[in-house]
Amino acid sequence: MNTELQNFIEKYDLYGCIQCGRCTGGCPVTVRTNLNVRRFVYDSIDEDALEELAKLPEIWDCTACSTCAVRCPKGLKPLEVLIGLRGILVLEGQVEPTVRDALESIFREGNPWSKARATRSDWMEGLDVKVADPETEVENLIFVCCTVVYDPRVQVTVKNLVKILNKADVDYAFVGDDESCCASEAFNLGEEELFEMMVEDNTELLNSFKAKRIVTISPHCFNAFKKQYPDLKAEVLHYTQLIGELLEDKKLEFTKELPQKIVFHDPCFLGKQNDVYDEPRFVLSQIPGAELVEFERNKERSLCCEGGGGKMWVESDSKLERLAETRVKDAHALGADVLAAACPFCILTLDDALKAKGFEEEMKVSEILEIIGDLLEE
Amino acid sequence: MNTFVCVKRVPDTSEAEVKVDATEKDVDSSKFSFDINDADNYAVEEAVQIKEAQGGTVQVLCCGPQDADMMIRMALAKGGDSAMRIDDPRINFSDPLQVAKVLAAAIKEQEYDLVLTGCWADDDGFMAVGVALAEELGIPHAAMVKKVEVEDGKVKAHRELEGGISEVVEITLPAVLTIQTGINEPRYAPIRGIRQAQKKELKVLKLDDLGISEEEVSEDSSLIELKRFYIPEVESKAEIIEGEPEEKAEKLAEKMVKGGLI
Amino acid sequence: MSNIFVLVEHRQGELRDITLEMLTKASQLAEKTGGETVALLLGNGVDSHAEKLTGYSDKVLYMDDPLFEDYNSEKYQKALVAFFKEQKPYLVMMGHTAQGVDLAPALAVELKMPFVTDVIDLEYVDDKLQPLRQYYGGKVNAEFSFKGEPPYLVTFREATLEVPEPFKSGKVEKIDSPLKEDIDYRKFLEYIEAEVGDVDITQSEILVAVGRGVKEEKNMAMIEELASAIKADICASRAATDAGWLPHDRQVGTSGKTVKPKLYIAIGISGAFQHLAGMKGAKTIIAINKDPEAPIFAEADYAIIDDLFKVVPKLTEKLQELRG
Repeated sequence: MNTELQNFIEKYDLYGCIQCGRCTGGCPVTVRTNLNVRRFVYDSIDEDALEELAKLPEIWDCTACSTCAVRCPKGLKPLEVLIGLRGILVLEGQVEPTVRDALESIFREGNPWSKARATRSDWMEGLDVKVADPETEVENLIFVCCTVVYDPRVQVTVKNLVKILNKADVDYAFVGDDESCCASEAFNLGEEELFEMMVEDNTELLNSFKAKRIVTISPHCFNAFKKQYPDLKAEVLHYTQLIGELLEDKKLEFTKELPQKIVFHDPCFLGKQNDVYDEPRFVLSQIPGAELVEFERNKERSLCCEGGGGKMWVESDSKLERLAETRVKDAHALGADVLAAACPFCILTLDDALKAKGFEEEMKVSEILEIIGDLLEE
Repeated sequence: MNTFVCVKRVPDTSEAEVKVDATEKDVDSSKFSFDINDADNYAVEEAVQIKEAQGGTVQVLCCGPQDADMMIRMALAKGGDSAMRIDDPRINFSDPLQVAKVLAAAIKEQEYDLVLTGCWADDDGFMAVGVALAEELGIPHAAMVKKVEVEDGKVKAHRELEGGISEVVEITLPAVLTIQTGINEPRYAPIRGIRQAQKKELKVLKLDDLGISEEEVSEDSSLIELKRFYIPEVESKAEIIEGEPEEKAEKLAEKMVKGGLI
Repeated sequence: MSNIFVLVEHRQGELRDITLEMLTKASQLAEKTGGETVALLLGNGVDSHAEKLTGYSDKVLYMDDPLFEDYNSEKYQKALVAFFKEQKPYLVMMGHTAQGVDLAPALAVELKMPFVTDVIDLEYVDDKLQPLRQYYGGKVNAEFSFKGEPPYLVTFREATLEVPEPFKSGKVEKIDSPLKEDIDYRKFLEYIEAEVGDVDITQSEILVAVGRGVKEEKNMAMIEELASAIKADICASRAATDAGWLPHDRQVGTSGKTVKPKLYIAIGISGAFQHLAGMKGAKTIIAINKDPEAPIFAEADYAIIDDLFKVVPKLTEKLQELRG
């Protein structure tokens, strides 16, 4: 067995936990699974128990939304104990085949979707896209996200972004062929060493461009670069922040009307983890004719859609309603025409939920870039 | 139980567009992603599971270029003990019988009980190397194995036949088994394991090291010859069936039955 | 004399179709160059097979011997090596089947035969026999030629030809088996039937996949009838397993299973990328969906863009009729 049971106590500061239960109290998945993260923090103090704890299926229910970390009065990160337990299985090679395939794919092909690395820039075909070169300074270096690159449902977001950047005459360039997975999900799936390897390689790559800022489409890449890549030179932004700037500086204007009721779902990795609440709302507020409504559970209380934390590759055993379905129901109850989000994982899970609930005729799930891409003057 | 497992590096062409190159005897692989042949991956897992249950060693064997080293390290990370890679441009990969000769030369002087190979390769689909290897080594074999039960000096192999039936055979060791996909669930090779596997032995050999002459395995001495590759004419991807709904259903049913789809 | 020998494949009292397909091909070849087609039958008390084969072959050479009660590659090999050394056929054909791949390569090595596997066609080009096979899952065709002297050996792919009505009136000739004693280093033990009710969809040959478009669990009955008519297993997209119509182990996709069936019939499935990723390896894909923009159609070989509730029951009915 090539297992090395980490000293969890040290790594996750387990003795710092006062067992107050605010973590479990805020954990969104507790309504539908057995996951009790408070107990895991406590039980993991016993090194001999770690192997058994790692075998419990509920450790895979965690979405890494980080509500627990946000709420912890001692500044601990309970979710990382779960990630650490996942790491034990990773080191033994005993992860679910779907997880195995995603991790192997990140390692070999630089994306978790088993797509050939050589096809990374295929999405650019037919578009007028500026690609970065290390010799030329650029203000905004755009980092796409593997899911946006490869999944047709969300590929429209980057295509629209290109339209917008060209129209607003922004100084931008895309990373291009060498772009590789930010590996945020590799970290969340417990493959720490793969994550560290990707951090090293990606940092070198991104620093090789003379870029002032790195702009990401996915909040997961955004969060990873901002919080988990210590040596990046450039400032890290989410695209909603860039679009917000363009709108404020009047470099971009939405000229077409969209008289619809829009409710914005705060993605966990953008909102509660990084406090980016206002910019997406500002962008939506600039849409002529649109009425913005709010979920009761909005901003830092946003209900996780269960797209992150490796959940795109692991199913829960729970028979209870998915959180995304609850969210869709809530949007529907608000009378929303559009359930908007600014994250590819949110879009995919909410879209699935929309279909499962049968609301496709009454409501749409749309990425902000999907909505605004159609609102520009020709 | 000392086991050899033969692995091959192949492209993943399930989604890629495949184009024949200018030589007409190969394809343009510039956009492919490469990895271990699927069936061989199952064979590696089976070999490691046998080692975990019975003790012994697993040696990984590969005919291929340096690019195959990462794949071999991943196999070592999963539980292989050492590896040999035979890297020689003179090996003729379009003749499975010659590839088998090369593998046999690498194995025959060694101590071993079992040789596992995948039952087919995702690229050429020959389904011949493993069984030919057994014949070269002069040992019994079983092909398309879905389950392996090791006993003293012999092995019970469940062969997968058409229609979901299994044929159980008992063969004496040493033997060759060609492994069918789905026999087990291959484990994940963690990055840490792959790093540690860098310390395991990976010998790179040429034909001369194996004591085979070029004549035995080169294109010239092969009894078959690949004349050319070409892309078969394919009708546009989806044949859209027309008519009223019930008509469409009937037409489809006929296609399914007459076209041998079911 | 360019005689073409076809090794008869039979099992548990059934003569397998591949045998007749090969004999059909063999006779097409033999017509061009003269020579006989010979069905080579190794078995124990399988006279009825021998009789049936006379309708497809000029000659049936029948080794009737208890040692051939069950297929055993080592026994077959011993017998055939001795036999071919004496007979010197021009071409030997075996099925590219579990049996054929288990035997042919060993025979080719022992007799040093020019040997090509999974052949989908054979034709004479400038009087030379040219086997055709495929690479990369059927995306590339490869023409080979035999360089050495006959006998040539091929394993021939199943279901490439339609078998006609009997077209020969051959003769059965019983011959002695050269195999005089049993072998002990490989023994046939038993057959094990496929387990019923224990479905591993990753190993299914035919799959009927259901998606959101099927709308309600009560509509699954219609799907079950279809699946039953073609002996298919049922799998699902996430929407259907979410909805509880099928257990999670039937889900196909990136957070479910990856399947590689011969035939995949996607019903009411839009073809989200995560689902497609799980079934892209299917050999033939049929899609039935009323949405012409559904991404599944980009992957399908056959498409019906229509209301599945009108199509599926009729499809089942017609399939039942055609299969009798």
